[in-house]
Amino acid sequence: MTEKACVTLDGRLVDVYPGDTLLDVAQRQGVDIPALCHDPRLEPAGACRLCLVEVEGQRRMVPSCATPATPGMVVRSKSEKVNKHRQTLLGLYLTDHPSDRTQCERHSPCELHALADVYHAPTHWQHVEPLRTGRDTDDNRFLTFSADKCILCAKCTRYCEEIEAASAITLAYRGPETTIATVDHHQLRDTDCELCGGCVDICPTGAMAAVLPTRMDAPPRSQLEKVRTTCNYCGVGCQLDLHVDKKANHGRGKVVQITAPPPGSTTNDGNLCVKGRFAYQFIDHPERLTTPLVRRTDGLLHPATWEEALTTAAKRLMEVRDKHGADALGFVSSSRCTVEENYLVQKLSRAVFFTNNVHQCAAT
Amino acid sequence: MTNSIGEIRNADFLFVIGSNTTEAHPVIAMEMKRAMRRGATLVVADPRKIWLADHATRHLQLKPGTDVWLLNAMANVIVTEGLCDESFINGQTEGFDRVLETVLAYTPEEAENVTGISAEDIRWTARLYATTPKAGIYYTLGITEHSHGTDNVYALSNLVLMTGHLGKPSAGMNPLRGQNNVQGANDAGATPVFYPGYQRADDPQTRARYEQSWGVPLPSTQGLNLNEMMKKIGSKIKGLFVMGEDIVLSEPNVAELEERMKNLEVVIVQEIFPNETFRYADVVFPAACFAEKEGVFTNSERRVQRVRKAVSPPGEARADWEILVALARLCGADWSYNSAGDIYAEMAQDTEKFRGISHIRLDEEGGLQWPCPTSDHPGTTFLHRDGVLRGKGKFVAVDYRPSAEHADNDFPLVLSTGRTLYHYNAATQTRRAEELAEKQPEAFIEIHPDDATVRNITTGDWVRVFTRRGSVECIATVSHQVQLGSIWMPFHFAEARANLLTTDVGDPVTGTAEYKVCAANVVLVALGKGSAPFPGAHFIHRG
Repeated sequence: MTEKACVTLDGRLVDVYPGDTLLDVAQRQGVDIPALCHDPRLEPAGACRLCLVEVEGQRRMVPSCATPATPGMVVRSKSEKVNKHRQTLLGLYLTDHPSDRTQCERHSPCELHALADVYHAPTHWQHVEPLRTGRDTDDNRFLTFSADKCILCAKCTRYCEEIEAASAITLAYRGPETTIATVDHHQLRDTDCELCGGCVDICPTGAMAAVLPTRMDAPPRSQLEKVRTTCNYCGVGCQLDLHVDKKANHGRGKVVQITAPPPGSTTNDGNLCVKGRFAYQFIDHPERLTTPLVRRTDGLLHPATWEEALTTAAKRLMEVRDKHGADALGFVSSSRCTVEENYLVQKLSRAVFFTNNVHQCAAT
Repeated sequence: MTNSIGEIRNADFLFVIGSNTTEAHPVIAMEMKRAMRRGATLVVADPRKIWLADHATRHLQLKPGTDVWLLNAMANVIVTEGLCDESFINGQTEGFDRVLETVLAYTPEEAENVTGISAEDIRWTARLYATTPKAGIYYTLGITEHSHGTDNVYALSNLVLMTGHLGKPSAGMNPLRGQNNVQGANDAGATPVFYPGYQRADDPQTRARYEQSWGVPLPSTQGLNLNEMMKKIGSKIKGLFVMGEDIVLSEPNVAELEERMKNLEVVIVQEIFPNETFRYADVVFPAACFAEKEGVFTNSERRVQRVRKAVSPPGEARADWEILVALARLCGADWSYNSAGDIYAEMAQDTEKFRGISHIRLDEEGGLQWPCPTSDHPGTTFLHRDGVLRGKGKFVAVDYRPSAEHADNDFPLVLSTGRTLYHYNAATQTRRAEELAEKQPEAFIEIHPDDATVRNITTGDWVRVFTRRGSVECIATVSHQVQLGSIWMPFHFAEARANLLTTDVGDPVTGTAEYKVCAANVVLVALGKGSAPFPGAHFIHRG
């Protein structure tokens, strides 16, 4: 008989399972340990030092994200020492980070500012200009890197290596000059980068950001509405969060940015590709069709009312059926449209026009 | 897919054939790469050196259209080396003897001559596939878009059945759907052979049930599939209703199709952007895009997920379902749906697989994977868990049939078409994203360095690609991605329509056209500036 493995966390005896880190145990218990460099998809890095906890018998605090939970451990995640450490560390991070939170969080939330608030981190320490350099000459239109916001947690470079396996970005230089660079300092679009934009979603401070919302001069993220939907490109069915400026386009609304739902919550596990994340300008493109068209006697398509278009279509389809029989009609449905719409096209074909000539492009 | 996307990362052996996963299903490719990082073995079988081949343990670069030879030879190794799952074959399948008999003739040595893959590689792959419990097969249009596409699928499923790699997590047969709602469109019965939920249209009982449910008599004549429909346009087909497909860009051999289109008496088109098919349209309905309407899409793993309205459609554009309801009512139907949820409810009610799914449940629980027969059923992560669904897994012996066209003196190259990472289908959406248009602005053809040299072609040159059916002009990319004797081009670009080149010979069962193999040639038209058609290290570094 094996005994149940346990550790003591903040005075409570809790279960541990093989492979658990101290952070896994805490998260399962709903104990909040702040961490800026942790992501369930990545191997632990222990880089940000924010998740340090006290373990009885150990002289120094240990990073909970990278420390295996061994049965019998006595762990303190809420002690005065731990809190003091968090406060000081967050204060230090803030010294070379943009101090105006509203400005910093304009296009994406900043976890550093949020945690600094929670832990009442000192904000009055002398500001120093970071020595990290950005990529000022990189004029790609997808992704931008603001070196001043970067806290070097390396989530972006690890994501690029461990999840996307492109390794297009990397940590470069040493000491205070350490920064996020592209391989061989190429322009990003000339690297192996597949433009998945995972570095944007995973970045805790908005240092890695999408260019488009800025180019659109979009309102701050806080004023946008979030709508969860399904991507309209390939068959993976990634879930998307559309960030919508409801007032734009004369009240029609405008999709300002697309992000992935948090890892672990949907099939795509926090990941997206270049199309799902960036190819949304078509939605309010000026070439969109805005009115029905009917071909008139001059042989050209002209704008028409819905009534004229629908009546003409119905009449002409029924004429062909009456003249040549129902099987002279063909209905091409679309695997780009919804299930409901496909259901209606086959019902239109079978129940209204009496033919099984209904299909769509579906080769797999 | 018999498995779910989330199971991929736990697979120990991945056999990816005819799927350019990194470019066509990037997020699934991420899962495959995660499996690799865990220590899984990845074998990519593809005529092209696709990006995923860089990550693969081995790349089997077969000659286009020789899939049946490769797969039957793998089966040959499995049966002759005693690697079959005898108890699965005996208990859960039928028809194995015929397959056994057939594959004995497909020795790895002979296969090497036909496919170009070494007998050693075939043996190694077959052994590892058969002996790894969590072994999954992943395929896409590289398998199906052939005149022997159905044979390819049978040959794959024979491998699955003889090794018993079915009904378990991370082990199964996984076609990756190319479009957001290929699965859902078929689920909904937008196919000549099935009513919703794969109930056969030629089954009188099914028809009788739907006649009762819909309150109208229903047709008993067999319907035409898309390939047949396109071939009979102007002759048997006199009127066409087209929703959301640019047929004269996307269908094969479009030059002939366009000739026939002129003989149609009526063409109704429902679209979000002007397209090539408009030239033949009598009426055009402006539709809403995915971000402007309610409904569901069903993904490759049978997961039904909500589509939600985030913004309003432009101008007078309406959701497709609203247009369809209005049109049907004018044609005498008494449809009275008030929402997409109403329509889904009607479909689910008559279909056991979906009966437990509703918009309300999806809003509360997120996605649900069918089969989901009752409102308290949790959905089905992987199929065939409790034995093969149709009772007995059916082996189907297949013999190699060559592709409809092969390289000859006049057309010495084999052309395949496909997708790229940066664009999607007819690119009506992706080319309107300035960033993507900039990353990959124009059509191109990939040609092997040796084939390029004899034609005096270098990267960046303007070339003409031609087949028996037509020709297009585009930029050349000299690349090791394609093998000697093969060329490859994307089908996204309206100004260089790859489907002026492709053949409309279809698979005898599905009608799916042979987009992946036709005989072609390339000639130099004008010297270029020597730059690649679009930047990106995948091309620059590999030459």
